[in-house]
Amino acid sequence: MKKMINKPENYVKEMLEGIYAAHPDLVTCTGEDVHCLVTARKKEGKVGIATGGGSGHLPLFLGYVGEGMLDGCSVGDVFQSPSAEQMLAVTKYIDSGAGVLYIYGNYNGDIFNFDMAAEMADFEEDIRVESVVAGEDVASAGPAAPGEKNTRRGVAGIVFVYKCAGAAAADMLPLEEVKRVAEKACANVRTMGVALSPCTVPRVGKPGFAIGEDEMEIGMGIHGEPGIRRGKLEPADQVVTEMMDQIVADLPYQKGDQVAVLVNGLGATPLDEQYIVTRKIDEYLKEKGISVHRYYVGEFATAIEMAGFSISLLKLDEELKKYLDAPARTPFFVQV
Amino acid sequence: MNAEYLVSFLREAKDIMAENREYLINLDSVVGDGDLGLTMSDGFLAAYEAVTEKGETDAGRLLYQAGKAMSTAVPSTMGTLMASGLMQAGKALKGNTELSPGQVAELFQAYLEGVANRGKAKIGDKTFLDGLAPGVEALKEAVEAGEDLPTASAKAAAAAQKGFEATVGMLAVHGRAATRGEASRKLQDPGAAVAALLMKALEKASR
Repeated sequence: MKKMINKPENYVKEMLEGIYAAHPDLVTCTGEDVHCLVTARKKEGKVGIATGGGSGHLPLFLGYVGEGMLDGCSVGDVFQSPSAEQMLAVTKYIDSGAGVLYIYGNYNGDIFNFDMAAEMADFEEDIRVESVVAGEDVASAGPAAPGEKNTRRGVAGIVFVYKCAGAAAADMLPLEEVKRVAEKACANVRTMGVALSPCTVPRVGKPGFAIGEDEMEIGMGIHGEPGIRRGKLEPADQVVTEMMDQIVADLPYQKGDQVAVLVNGLGATPLDEQYIVTRKIDEYLKEKGISVHRYYVGEFATAIEMAGFSISLLKLDEELKKYLDAPARTPFFVQV
Repeated sequence: MNAEYLVSFLREAKDIMAENREYLINLDSVVGDGDLGLTMSDGFLAAYEAVTEKGETDAGRLLYQAGKAMSTAVPSTMGTLMASGLMQAGKALKGNTELSPGQVAELFQAYLEGVANRGKAKIGDKTFLDGLAPGVEALKEAVEAGEDLPTASAKAAAAAQKGFEATVGMLAVHGRAATRGEASRKLQDPGAAVAALLMKALEKASR
């Protein structure tokens, strides 16, 4: 393990202390527990939006707390859910009477704890809570049959959900409406990733799995969950085409559609490569007659130091476009 | 049975989870990520420490507090499920300081429901429920037949152990084990092993 850290057991705490030091104008913590991160600019009467999840994915999840996106985030250990108690502390802090919306990724540990936190908020604090669970990784499972539970993992596409729901809340929409916008964004976003190298959880000290020097794994999850195909590394254009074929066919995104595109580096893939990927995505979408309203290229949801990237598409209508374009200011996402 | 009995149950539970830490780690390493032994011993220790020598006499509040402490200490999947069971049992027994054997059976019925509601699993899905459900059934039957708690809880422990053993052959549909598909059938479920240990702890506390 080669990492710029101190003691592995202090990894999350020290990362958080750095966040608080660098962004005191945007975020603070609810009290003693640094894992309960909230906006420093709470707005009265606004629906509060909370997220949460394990560490190791910066900018996800806490990086989108600020103005115009999220109001709070409970932060777990690396790849571990935070506790319901921490989620409750965030919920209490960000509620200003209009209720709280939870938006988080589709993982059992997070679901169980957010459900428990929602019950505690209702039972102990009389706070109204609604939840939207994002699961848009097309490689992780097939689409849910009608009436069945969505079993797809939530990955980088959740950033679009945060953005649209956050802007709706900033417009002072009521809880049901903010939830509707979040669900609409979830329904229109799809993601797929590819991994070129593994990642190491600091307290474990060695990679959780291996990928050969000349190999890649298409569809791998952001904790190293198995993908759909492992094979020899191929040129970027070929890999992008394979991923785009699956993403576009899934929703499906069709000729005449307008989309937003998020190209996300997984931690160790340079921006140069991300733009090489973006070039091919643009070419691909032009050929399909799908127009791009805007691109976001960079790191949004990483897997510690994994090499690789993911592509997310969000199909836009006038409402989602308006909320996507609205201004936001958070430690990792600034849009004017 | 009163609050003291519940504290002694939690003491037996944390002891038995600590004694079986390596056993659970080994079972879980085959199907999951191997941390079950740690989360169960840490979790039941936190539950016990939250209520011992605190003087809480309300059985429901005591269990709810124990569950909350566990959820904070071990927010992993299984930790949260066990915490949900304790908290549901707490809600069911709130307001009682003395428990009849029938109410002890109710406690575990509520525990079972708390876990099932949180995890959205069904009997036969190869989970914790497949160990606990037969144990709770045996406990209820014995208590209804007028047997005393030492006898009833011994029967519950034996039934839970049998339930755990019967998870071999079941197809896993939840968690990492499910990714194995048909190959999961030949594996024992670590969650059901926790249920068998929990019933064993009840037997010890009831002696």
